[in-house]
Amino acid sequence: MRVALALGGLAALFALPFWLIPAIDPEGSGFWQHIFVTIFVFAAMACAWNILGGFAGQLSLGQTIFYGIGGYAGAMLNQHFGLIPWFGGIVGAAVAVAVAVFIAWPCLRLRGPFFALSTIAFLEVIRLLAIHFKDFTGGSAGLPVPMFVGTEMRIGWAWMLFREKENYLIIAFGLMALALAVSWLVRNSRLGFYLVAVREREDAARAVGVNATGVKLAAFAISAALTSLVGTFHGIYLNFIDPETMFSLPTAIQVAMFALIGGLGTVTGPIWGTLLVVPIAEAARGWLGAAANGLHGLVYGLVLVGVVLTMPKGLVGSIGPWLKRRFGGVAEVDSAARIQPPAPAAPGEERPPVGEPLLEARNLVKKFGGLVATSDVSITLREGEVLGVIGPNGAGKTTLFNLLSGFLPPSSGGVRVRLADGAWVSPNSPHGFAAAGVARTFQIVQPFTGLSVRENIMLGAFHGTRSAVEARRIAEEVAATVGLTGLLDAEARSLTVGGAKRLEVARALAMKPRVLLLDEVMAGLNPADVQQAVELIKRVRDSGVSVIAIEHVMAAVMALSDHIVVINSGRLIAEGPPSEIARNPAVIEAYLGEEYAHAAA
Amino acid sequence: MDILLQLIANGALLGGVFALISIGLTLIFGIVRVVNFAHGEFLMVGLYATWIMASQLGLHPYVAALPLAVVFFFLGALMQRAIIQPLMNADPHIQIFATVGIGTALANGALMLFSADLRSVDLPWARQATDLWGIASVSRGNLVAFFVSFAATGALIAFLNRTHLGRAIRAVAQNRYAAPLMGIDVNRIYAITFGIGTGCVGLAAAVLAPLYPAFPTVGSFFVLTAFVVVVLGGMGSLEGAVIGALIIGLVESLAGYYIAPDLKEVVYFAIFLGILIVRPAGLFGVRGNE
Amino acid sequence: MVAIRRRPLLGGLAAAAVAPRFAAAQGGEIKFGALYPFSGGLALLGDESFRGLEVAVEERNAAGGVLGRQVRLMKGDAVDQNQAIGEVRRLMSVERVVAVFGTYASPLAFAATQVTELQGVPYFEMGAISDPITERGFRYVFRTCPRSSDFGAATVGGIVDALAPAYGIDPKTLKIAILHEDALYGQTVSGFQEAQIRQRGLNQVEKLAYSARSVDLSSVIQRLRGVNADIVLHTGYQNDIVLFFRGMQEANWKPRMVIGSGAGYSLTDTARAVGPAFDGVMNVDFTQFAVNEQYAPGVAAFVELYKRRYGSDPRSGHSLANYFGARVYLDAVQRAGGTDKDRIRTAVLATDVAEGTTPTGWGVRFDERGQNTRVRPFLLQWQGGRQVTVFPAQAAVAQLRPQMGA
Repeated sequence: MRVALALGGLAALFALPFWLIPAIDPEGSGFWQHIFVTIFVFAAMACAWNILGGFAGQLSLGQTIFYGIGGYAGAMLNQHFGLIPWFGGIVGAAVAVAVAVFIAWPCLRLRGPFFALSTIAFLEVIRLLAIHFKDFTGGSAGLPVPMFVGTEMRIGWAWMLFREKENYLIIAFGLMALALAVSWLVRNSRLGFYLVAVREREDAARAVGVNATGVKLAAFAISAALTSLVGTFHGIYLNFIDPETMFSLPTAIQVAMFALIGGLGTVTGPIWGTLLVVPIAEAARGWLGAAANGLHGLVYGLVLVGVVLTMPKGLVGSIGPWLKRRFGGVAEVDSAARIQPPAPAAPGEERPPVGEPLLEARNLVKKFGGLVATSDVSITLREGEVLGVIGPNGAGKTTLFNLLSGFLPPSSGGVRVRLADGAWVSPNSPHGFAAAGVARTFQIVQPFTGLSVRENIMLGAFHGTRSAVEARRIAEEVAATVGLTGLLDAEARSLTVGGAKRLEVARALAMKPRVLLLDEVMAGLNPADVQQAVELIKRVRDSGVSVIAIEHVMAAVMALSDHIVVINSGRLIAEGPPSEIARNPAVIEAYLGEEYAHAAA
Repeated sequence: MDILLQLIANGALLGGVFALISIGLTLIFGIVRVVNFAHGEFLMVGLYATWIMASQLGLHPYVAALPLAVVFFFLGALMQRAIIQPLMNADPHIQIFATVGIGTALANGALMLFSADLRSVDLPWARQATDLWGIASVSRGNLVAFFVSFAATGALIAFLNRTHLGRAIRAVAQNRYAAPLMGIDVNRIYAITFGIGTGCVGLAAAVLAPLYPAFPTVGSFFVLTAFVVVVLGGMGSLEGAVIGALIIGLVESLAGYYIAPDLKEVVYFAIFLGILIVRPAGLFGVRGNE
Repeated sequence: MVAIRRRPLLGGLAAAAVAPRFAAAQGGEIKFGALYPFSGGLALLGDESFRGLEVAVEERNAAGGVLGRQVRLMKGDAVDQNQAIGEVRRLMSVERVVAVFGTYASPLAFAATQVTELQGVPYFEMGAISDPITERGFRYVFRTCPRSSDFGAATVGGIVDALAPAYGIDPKTLKIAILHEDALYGQTVSGFQEAQIRQRGLNQVEKLAYSARSVDLSSVIQRLRGVNADIVLHTGYQNDIVLFFRGMQEANWKPRMVIGSGAGYSLTDTARAVGPAFDGVMNVDFTQFAVNEQYAPGVAAFVELYKRRYGSDPRSGHSLANYFGARVYLDAVQRAGGTDKDRIRTAVLATDVAEGTTPTGWGVRFDERGQNTRVRPFLLQWQGGRQVTVFPAQAAVAQLRPQMGA
């Protein structure tokens, strides 16, 4: 239904300049078709930008680097080697991807405005170099697109040059459709989920096995290739290429602005934004430009400020929900009501016996400057076991978890994990640990608020599969296990604390881990919820997953754990079975103070 | 040797110009955490304002500096209240586009009012060469700009360290969530800081007016350099901005001579990117601020 | 009816503001496009160029028009290439213009001419100087104004034929440096200057480019000083010209002569911003207004028309160059006896006007490619706050003064 609507909309968008306007206003069609070529070209670029700027949240203001590369590739191969621009376009896209990777390497380490500034710096450098190396690029004198070579007239489909304006329209529309399709595919694929996850909460994304830099790089490359293709076509269409036009900062800002006005991170937003702003700008130029030089720019700037102030989510982000509320009739989900208890264990399911070591940490040390947060800690997790980690606040439990999941590199010592095939590995990054079968939750739960509960769980599921269909199936399965089935379509932000904690566990479980690290999943829960959580963890254990749990709720730890380690001031002060730990004076002292230890003794 | 000293003198003085323009930007950057893309356009407005005061009212541009700074303070505070404040918790994308919009509107407004012509404040005194101990020849206007940039930076640092308001501003910079607990009205601090930052631009404009003519796009000539300076020095660090400005000034001067004048921007952008990669917080920035 | 007919005589602004549709039905009119940058960064000289065209058209209309019909100009605002294409399309399809006049800026001309060529609409270029515009094998693109290469030749020729004789020395002993902004204008003109210097065996000691967005040219000046340049050939815009001269003042150094190229050096605003140091500076540009009336008959009359029409002196020679070009083309269309593109081409190419008989002093003789070969920029000099023509001798109104600066 939605797809049909979207295709219908696209068809209408194409029909408007191609058949409708020529039918109504045959005289003006040349002009209108140009306007629509402009709209399609900018919409395609805005869509491409949105993959990086919207989905991945990396505000690039240097997108015209790739537009220029495409333009120059097409024109230079045409000029020097007589190659058709279609070929030049492909070469340009390849070069653009290479340049994107090169630029991304330093830039992607930066955040927010710094990323934006560094892309501007790259754009300026490339523009200046294109001007300086004029023997190669033609410099500021520019490259006219050749139409005659000797007596041969290079027009027609091969050369992308036409007498018939409609053909430009077809290509420009094709580019927009391509950008839109790629954008849609990305958004609905594993990559899209990962990008949104990285944008919203990079650490949690890394915990589900996302290679944050890798996916941002992929977004950068896809966006660059698409933009380059547009650049090739538009360069030919403009008939003349020069560094000022092709590597233009104002154009880069404009493209980002279209996406922003339409709705950042939505699939169709960039097209709506372009569709709204380009005609307004053209009209403003037509009506105001000749009358008062600069007036249209003034209006443009003020409109931008106005849109940003009144609709920070853009057209799609602001009007879409309103339309849904008004006409869609989606009722608000009462989240507390819909959480079910976790599915009970199937009768007859036996707990597998505790087996060989699965994860070993040896002599872990972590120093922050002069502060020793973890001091010579060694622990071992056996297959099928629940290992409880306890200790007072600030004892260094979470630091230990970060060491065990690759979020912090140890100052010395190491962690190794046994794979399913028996080989031992020592990963050194979060996604390395995830690949080795280690999943974790975070103490402070913050679901990815831009995604539904189902999509949140799918993020974990994507660790094991590339297929969105498969991930969806796993998500539903896991949701049933943790009791979130009724809330699958709710927005993650609407969950209660208990629900959010379960979601956190569900996302980790969806990764099908062999080791699960749980960071205080019971903190803040009411006694009934705690009881359910204990049951849930037992079920997880019984399904063959080994668990390390940091927990404050003593009763629960004692009930759950097969083995307990106690951490205080970064060092391991005791370990053993729960019954022993409960009697250990050092533990009692650490928790309750010295007097109690003596009293107990 | 002779030429090297002259180049260093030129570079240092140019650095003074950049510092003057950048201190307001770094203050806003560091405390309000907003990248003001309209900063260059503020400078442009200031240059026009000085030109009007000089040509219509016959005011000496240096005399115009103080009233201009005061007017700009209120303009900046107003802009923060009206446009930036509602967006304080929004995505950085949104804030950037708000300031881009303001910049576009200002540049085109100037084009409408004054056309694309150059408007130059006539102060031949400022353009006369002064001999510096026989090693370099520099213009008086540039010397004034140089010393004003140092004086302004010193005054701002003293203000931030010695006064109650200044300490409140620093508290907000350090922790915008904890500051309200100490009874600080964070939003008021933002407005004041934005005002001070903009006031610095007003001051800069008046001091630079005898050196640089006003035209609608003059802001874009300076703004990228100012960003480079601010990032180089470290976001929010006034000392850093001055030192970053001196470095960029020297790089411009030396690279323009020893490499090629049309590649000097390439050189300092390369330095800028290098710094961002190696030390994202800048030379004097606090880690974690990036 | 009468009021509408008279509008072009009364006010171009009103004509431009009125929606074109109302007048489109007027059978007695012949419509031409006028494609210039009317807004954006190039607006000042774009508009100045248009004024020359407008004056020529009004003059023609007062004398009965073209082909017995009143000429009507349809404005197109070309801010950038994309805009140029859109506007020229609009002019051709909506306004149905017979031909398009333009453009002042070369990138805009490149973009617009390819569209008109494919549609078979003649394009009359009167101000864009990039050489390849008329080297692409187009049949219906014509240009009346000089090219970058003509600027290069005139600058270097001026050193040999005018400046060196004024110094009374052999031009080969002069150390010449080329300085230019790195946008299209500077890069192309300086390239031809360099080629000319080499061809004539002169002594080029330095060639420096700088970004048009520079805020400081002190290192450039140090380099020029380092090579001890006698003559600096400078192609720049207003802002960097001002920076260059202020920088030289600061550095307490200047060459024996600066020869500028083009509009930036012609604007009175530039001279005012630089001050007395600008006196004696030379320039190579389109014909300016202080030119020998005998060599450029009609220039005073043009200034008179311009003043009456716009209430001020012309801001640069662009209006005059466009006035000259427009007269040539309108005359050719008249001789063509119709608006067919091939008849117009034949008529344009048949034009034969001797040098020294037009308001610019330029002659007209087109080559097969559509380029006017009887044009050249003149050598000018700022003397006492005015820019006067000093070379060639027939066009000169003043003697070349061999010293520069106050």
